[in-house]
Amino acid sequence: MIYLLIVLFGSTMLYVSATSRIEAYIKTLYAQGFLLFLMVALEFGRIETATFVFLCLETLVFKAVLIPAMLSNAVRKNEAYRDVEPSISHFFSLIISTLVFLGGFAIAYLSGSRSAEIQPLYFGISISTMVNGLLIVMLRKNVITHAIGYMMMENGIFLLSLSIAKKMPFVVDLGVLLDLFTGIFLLVLFAGKIREAFDETEVDSLSRLKD
Amino acid sequence: MLEILLGFTCVLALVLLAFRSEAMNRWALVAYGIAYLGAIGSGCLASAGCLVLPWVEHLTAFFAIDPLNLIFLAILAVVFLPVSIYNLGYRKGAKGDRSSGTFYAVFMLLFMASMTGAVASTHLALYWVFLEATTLASSYLIYFPKTKASLEATWKYIFICSIGIAVAFVGIVFISVGSVGFDSLFLADLYRNAPSMTPLWLKLGFVFITIGLGTKVGLAPVHAWLPDAHSEAPSPVSALLSGTLLNTALLGMMRAYKLMGLAGFGSQGRIILLVLGFLSLVVTAAFILGIRNYKRMLAYSSIENMGIVAVGLGLGGPAILAALFHVAAHSLVKSPFFLTAGNILRRFGTKDTREISGLVKADPLNGWLWVAFCVAILGFPPSPVFMSEYLMISAFVSSGRWLLLAVFLLLLTVILYGMGRRVFAMSFGEPVMSSDSGPVPVSMVLPLFIFIALFTALGSGIFAPLFGLFADAAEVLK
Repeated sequence: MIYLLIVLFGSTMLYVSATSRIEAYIKTLYAQGFLLFLMVALEFGRIETATFVFLCLETLVFKAVLIPAMLSNAVRKNEAYRDVEPSISHFFSLIISTLVFLGGFAIAYLSGSRSAEIQPLYFGISISTMVNGLLIVMLRKNVITHAIGYMMMENGIFLLSLSIAKKMPFVVDLGVLLDLFTGIFLLVLFAGKIREAFDETEVDSLSRLKD
Repeated sequence: MLEILLGFTCVLALVLLAFRSEAMNRWALVAYGIAYLGAIGSGCLASAGCLVLPWVEHLTAFFAIDPLNLIFLAILAVVFLPVSIYNLGYRKGAKGDRSSGTFYAVFMLLFMASMTGAVASTHLALYWVFLEATTLASSYLIYFPKTKASLEATWKYIFICSIGIAVAFVGIVFISVGSVGFDSLFLADLYRNAPSMTPLWLKLGFVFITIGLGTKVGLAPVHAWLPDAHSEAPSPVSALLSGTLLNTALLGMMRAYKLMGLAGFGSQGRIILLVLGFLSLVVTAAFILGIRNYKRMLAYSSIENMGIVAVGLGLGGPAILAALFHVAAHSLVKSPFFLTAGNILRRFGTKDTREISGLVKADPLNGWLWVAFCVAILGFPPSPVFMSEYLMISAFVSSGRWLLLAVFLLLLTVILYGMGRRVFAMSFGEPVMSSDSGPVPVSMVLPLFIFIALFTALGSGIFAPLFGLFADAAEVLK
């Protein structure tokens, strides 16, 4: 069951790479947040109750609802429904992210035989999600898409930290969540300012400063 | 004590938000600077055993002062107070509504609190939390001029640094995976168990942490945000970014470096730092020759100096002392250099080096200060930069790396030429400035002299015990 969820999680990134509708990215974010919640929920009984409750709240409230809603609001406010002219065509971007996804399985296979400290599939898929998130940031040109790509990368990192049995002190978990939430909040805020100042949300307009 | 300081900062920020008085905003920062210096000073004395303070015993496990972060805390305290005095004049009579002035002061306080938390943290992941908080708190400060350029700089800053720091977090997770047989990211536990850690995960973790934090330190090739943010931020903020924020990220790299050393992979860690350090020097040398914006020039000089620190760590041995000394030297010289740039910008209204010449005639005080700080950052005595670079060169010689030394000196010479040429062209000759808004207030000049007194004292070696502090810190990293 859990493996199915992980693979589903990883393959959401393929969907993102093949479309230029920003609302579709947001839907993917909702889905990813909910999948992460299900993965945490399946751990019931295996982790401490306090940690379990915190992780459930983090995934369900923040990752599956609040943060995607915030970004979705930014899309509507800034009327940035589409990603115009990505650097490469959807076809190539789909091929690249499929390769990265397969690479994730390869990493899982290789690390499974070599290391006892990690759960291979978690590890491989989380790495491939991070790389795919970074690819979105690099290949797309809308600032809101960039914020979404960053969030997907953070989801990948969350999966990675789920995969290790070790836990952090509560104050650290809380701090990480607070940082992430504030970070996205600020990105959304500044995306709005960019729209006000430049009348669009394309990164190409951010090219005044160079040497 | 540190918890009290962090709590106090938040309370002060709330008070400022409640009153929203511009005079109060400005003076609160100075008062905070004094209180901060007092707190860190007494804390340092207490942890050195010179002073018994009952509340120092009550430090929680998450914060502590050790010989290494003591230097970073001291730099924070010593740099912030003069900058806050400068800020009195800088913000006086400033345009803009009352709330944006209040937000400026509040974010300045949060910025200081997050840097303090990061530097004093004893837990690797908690350090990360505070470091990410420094990015968030300082983003408003960089955006503060509210121009298109500052907006662009802010966006790049948050984005590049957040991704860099996320990469560092992956590194921390790897370190956690590699810590076999114990479940803790407290530095003391990591150091104690370093030899038994899984080599693969430790090394991977180190690489991720170094590249990730390197983004924030401003090491090439991941330095892209630094020139933009430093040149567009208000000058007091540029001074803090360069003089304190870069150090805060550097400390994390040093902690990871020590972990590698303890685990027996010191030489591999050193190679990575040497490569990043030299790359930073090459990038600075390449860009500084053609630069036309003097605040960007200072920003590139920060990349250079962080590169020198990385080279020092990369050499290891006696060069570690040089690197730590260079951290302090750079902060004490670069911060006032940025503040002087702020004075020139305020008076003549341009950042373009071609539109400024004859500074010494037009504004003798700031003109000569501009020359003095340039000479100091380029490493002429009695600047402490001279001392640290001298120590660094002797470390090259004693380890017999003549080729590297030659490259190092060549790059420094190119940078010296590039920067010296621009600064002297701006300072001497006949004034050509098209606008002149008159002399800057005294409070924007006085702190510069405080900095001169401080770095001359450090560079001339008047206070011998200071060297003891640096030697103790270097001992931690060896």
